[in-house]
This record gives sequence, C-alpha cells and structure tokens, in this order.
Amino acid sequence: MLTKAVRAALIGVVAAGFFGGCGTKDARPVIRLLTGPDSGGGFKEIIRQFEAARPDLRVELVEGPAATNTREDMYAASFMAQDGAYDVVFMDVIWVPKFAAAGWILPLDDRFPAEERADFLPGDISGSIYQTKIYRVPMQSDAGMLYYRKDLLDAEKRVPPRTVEELAELARALQSPPDRWGLVFQGQQYEGLVCAFLEVLWGFGGDVIDAEGRVTLDSPESVRALEWLAGLPTRLAPPGVTTYQEEECRQMFQDGRAVFMRNWPYAWTLCQKEGSPVRGKIGIVPMVHAAGKTSAATLGGWGYGISAYSKHPGAAWSFIEFATQAAQQKVFHFRTGAIPTRKSLFDDADILKGSPHFKELYTVLLAARPRPVHPRYSRISDILQRHVSAALVGQLTPEKAIQDAAEKIRQALQ
Amino acid sequence: MKNHRYLLPAGAFLVCVLGFPLAHTLWTAVSGAASVPRMAGDEILAQSVRVTLAFSLMSVALELALGLVFALLLNAPFRGRGWARAIVILPWALPTAVMAMSWRWILNDTYGVFNDVLLRLGLIDAPVAWLGRPETAFASIVLADVWKTTPFVTLILLAGLQSIPKDLYEALRIDGAGAWSRFRLITLPMLRPAIALALTFRLIQALGVFDLVWVLTGGGPAGRTYTVSLYIYDNLFRYQDPGYGAVITVTFMLSVFALAAVLSMGMQDRRA
Repeated sequence: MLTKAVRAALIGVVAAGFFGGCGTKDARPVIRLLTGPDSGGGFKEIIRQFEAARPDLRVELVEGPAATNTREDMYAASFMAQDGAYDVVFMDVIWVPKFAAAGWILPLDDRFPAEERADFLPGDISGSIYQTKIYRVPMQSDAGMLYYRKDLLDAEKRVPPRTVEELAELARALQSPPDRWGLVFQGQQYEGLVCAFLEVLWGFGGDVIDAEGRVTLDSPESVRALEWLAGLPTRLAPPGVTTYQEEECRQMFQDGRAVFMRNWPYAWTLCQKEGSPVRGKIGIVPMVHAAGKTSAATLGGWGYGISAYSKHPGAAWSFIEFATQAAQQKVFHFRTGAIPTRKSLFDDADILKGSPHFKELYTVLLAARPRPVHPRYSRISDILQRHVSAALVGQLTPEKAIQDAAEKIRQALQ
Repeated sequence: MKNHRYLLPAGAFLVCVLGFPLAHTLWTAVSGAASVPRMAGDEILAQSVRVTLAFSLMSVALELALGLVFALLLNAPFRGRGWARAIVILPWALPTAVMAMSWRWILNDTYGVFNDVLLRLGLIDAPVAWLGRPETAFASIVLADVWKTTPFVTLILLAGLQSIPKDLYEALRIDGAGAWSRFRLITLPMLRPAIALALTFRLIQALGVFDLVWVLTGGGPAGRTYTVSLYIYDNLFRYQDPGYGAVITVTFMLSVFALAAVLSMGMQDRRA
C-alpha cells in the first residue's frame, strides 16, 4: 500500500524523467552500425576519433554475432521490414549484389568517384560494384593463398611452387602420411569449399559465369581443375579433408602436420604466435595455377555501404569517408590485425615492421577476384558446394559433377 | 463453464507465439502458390526428403529398440537405480548444438577421441574421417541423434512400464508362464500406448531435424545429410524465396499432421 505522498512523489519523479529527458536529450543525429564482436576495439577507437572530429554527430555501434551469415540475415530482415535500424551497412563482399539488386543499399558513385578509388586494391573495388554502380567502400581486404613450410623446402633446397604440378610434386616428396600430409584445404561442403575451388578453377583458366552473366562452367578447363582438386584427398591431402573448415586446416598446419595449406591471411598471425610449433618456419605464395595460366585468389573482405532506409545518409557518408582513410585503416590494422584496402599502406614502414609478409600478401591481393557477382550467388554457391563435394568424395566423376553443376546453375539463374 | 475465461491469458499467448506465425506462413504459402508445381521437378527437394525419411526411420527405430531395453533395465529393482535413472537422462538435457559441436570433435579424423579408442582397440588401422564420407557421415548423424534422444524414449516407456498393474504378472506367473511369455503377453501389449506416444513425438522431431545436422555436417558431403529443414531455411533466408520456402513448409507440415493422425488412430484402436 502506497501512501498518497509517496505516490505523488513517484509520479513526479517519473514525469520529470520523462519530460526532463526530452529537454536534455542528445539532439545529434545517430549513425547506427552493425558489426561483429569488436574484439580488438578497432571500431570503438575509430568511432572515438570520428566523434572528436565531428562533435555534431554520434555513432552507435551494435556488436552482432561473430557468424557472418547471421549478421547477413539480421541486415536482410531489417531491410525487408524497411526500417532504418542501421545507417551504415558493414558488408561482406558477397552480400553486395544481393543487397544492391534488392534496392537495400544506396549507390555511392557521386560520393566515391573513380579518382578516389585509385588508391584502393582493384579486387576490393570490383567486388563493391554491382551492374556499373559502386555500393561499398572497402575497409578490410582478404584473399585466399598458399601457405608453405619454409624450413622443409629450404632443407631440400627447393623453391615454393607456382604451378599445380610443382605443388603436387613437392607435396608428394615432403609428406609422410599419416603424420604429415602434403596439403590441407577447406573441403567440407560449405562456402569455404567454393572459395578453395574457385582459386583452382581460375588457375586452370576456367570460370563460373562470364561478364554478361552466362554460365561458362562446363568447360574442359573446369573439368581439369576439378580433376586436380578431387585427386588430392587420400593421396596428398588427408582423407578427413572433406570435413575441414579453416580452423581444422590451421590446426593441422600449425601442429606441423601439413606441408602446404590453403587459407586466409588470419592464419599467419596465429601460426607466428609465441609457442606455435611452426613459428618462423612458414611462408606464403599466391595459389598455384596450371602451366601457362596465372594465379588467382578468392576475394573476401569487408566494407561500408549506406542503407537505403537510413534517415541520415549524409552523416553516414561522413563516417564512412573518415573510417576508410589511410590513418584510420592503420589504427584498425594495429588494433585487429585486419588487412588494409589502400595500396599505399603496403609500403608503410610501421606496418611492414610488424608484418613483413605484407610484401608477399600484396601480390596475392592484387590477383584477388570476387566470387561470381550475382544477386543469386547463394544458389550458385550451394550448387557448387554440393557438386564439388560429390567429386571430392568420389560420388560423381569430375566431368559429371561439372556438367550437372553448370546445368543446375543455369536453371537457378533463369 | 465460465471458468473457461481463465484460459484466456494462455490462449492469447499461444495465439501470439503459435497462431500468428502459422497464419503468416500459410499466407506466405498462398501468395507463393504459383511455385507449387516447382516441387515436382525439384531434385534437391526430392533428395532432401529421401535423406530426412531415411534418417527418421533409422534413428527412431534404433531409439525405440534401445529405449525399450533401457526402460526394462531401469524398471527392474537394483541398488542405485535412482542414480542410474538420473544419469541416463543427461544426454537429453544437453542443448543439441552444444552436443553436435562435441560430436564434431569426437569424430574428427586427426584429433578425435572416437578414432583414438578404435585404434587402441585395434579395430581400425588408420584414422577414419567419419564425417568425410557420405555413408559414414549419414551414420554419424543417426548415431548422434540416437545418443541424444534415446533417453527421451526411455523415459516415456519407463512411465508406461510403471503403470502396468503388478497383479497381471502374478496371475500369469501362477499360470506357469515364463519371462518371455510375460513380456510378450503383458508388457508389450500394455506398453503399446506409450510406444505409440514415443513414436509420434520422436517421428515429428526427427522429420524436422535441423540443428544437429547444421552443426555436424552442414548437409554434406555431397548433400548426403541435407534434410528438408535445411532446404526450407536456405529458401527462406539465403535465396530470398519465402513463397517457395513456405509452400514446402506447409506441405511438410500437412504430411507430418497426417502421419501423426494415423499413428494416434492406431493407438486408439488397440485401446478400444
């Protein structure tokens, strides 16, 4: 039982809080941004610097789940409801066509003209473009590559491989299964398998779709590429490679149980950590290619776009412009280990001191290509996953797998 | 009669969390009705239905058989029976995603404890990538499901066993019937409603399996563990094709309803 006085006081407090809150409320426009867990504090530091430079704006960081497909679903759900929950869209490169085709993100051509793009890595820029318009400013680059055991190669006075034949020969010569296998790669039926397969496919001169969106997968080059990849398990790669994602590979390589590994740049930092059995014994080269062809890397990486439902697109742009400057990318790199997207930073003395491998990494990144740019990429990916996996476990011959996959992709894109 | 109004809060809650999503799915399916014919020529759907049916039949059959054995054992009086009953229920209490993650590492070819045990026992001479081959991957998801949900079946059957009047057994014993006759003539017929109940619950759950497969294999290799639920999820969330996803959902739901109805009719027949 409340006495009258107490009740009146309570009402007064609530009312003061309510109306008073309106009077003193922060009137600055709020820019909302959804990212993964900000473990290194990189986003918070950039936001702090931005708010110091632009006291008239406020940025609210929403730290979402680490699983990127979950965040993709969060963005998609908010866009489907047409709500302006997020102003800045922190995007994986493969989301761009889907989000752009749905009209969920704004084209940035006026704000981000060609001369501004010149300092960025070409792959990151082409991955940000959908049907001639640009939708994303790259802020973190990523690409697949080949790790090798420098100590093992040096002991035999061998140089790192460039072609598929050299890789196979070296892997055979230096492996001693089951304790040490020649090569580990992402062989489970999931997105990572597509990334690994595309690098081999491109290295053999094949492709999935051409610039006009026609399916060109069923080519002799593609069959040869898949034959090579499908010939690895149990011969040069462990039988369990068909269950491996990035971390299983990294674990094997870091424990010294593999001579070569296909992986992303993140593995470098972990393999070079204090206490790692392969610390100081590893090197990187671009993924191998068929004789007479060139290497390619599957492009990953992140960038910023603006939501079509944002109420403050101008303010959102100010933040994007600020956060992708060389100085801020450097800050972000030192906080999180992320790879910058501006070419000039790969010559930066401070960065090279901590990461001398950025010289080799730069060659890899220059050869990086986006996965098939199509709003229905997830269907293309699922079909590839299923058929490449079937070839790896011997359920389909590489030739049949390629034919079936090409046919299914044609149906899916109709 | 007027006491019915006390059901209102619970009823309103159910309408919100069950009725609304159901109505929404139905509505989405109606608006996507044009894609109904697509189901006929959809090979991925056909394959996922085969995988789901094979998975459900195998895992539920094994769970019923094992569950019956465990229930009979736990129904017999022995020292520490209370503890045994508590321990048996443990796997069922674990969140599926957590236990699937554990199985992923248990079955890992290089670091997995399963291979280690088999190697030490001399049953295999080289580590096997259980999740890496289509057949063994399929067997692995059945195994993981049996491990997790046999306790559920055990629990239901145990409750069924305890409801059988003891004097029936005594009467038969006086007539000179042996253990097997007592099991065949009393236990099994009297247990039929409990078996039907466990069967219904387990079949519905197994047909909708998602989290276990999602974590353990992601549907691979070669799509050999790709179930209908994974396909529905992909259509709704990844392909942005809610119409088709809802059409499959509703078709699937009606099939499960029909199955449940047949099972419960079977159960009532026997009791009448």
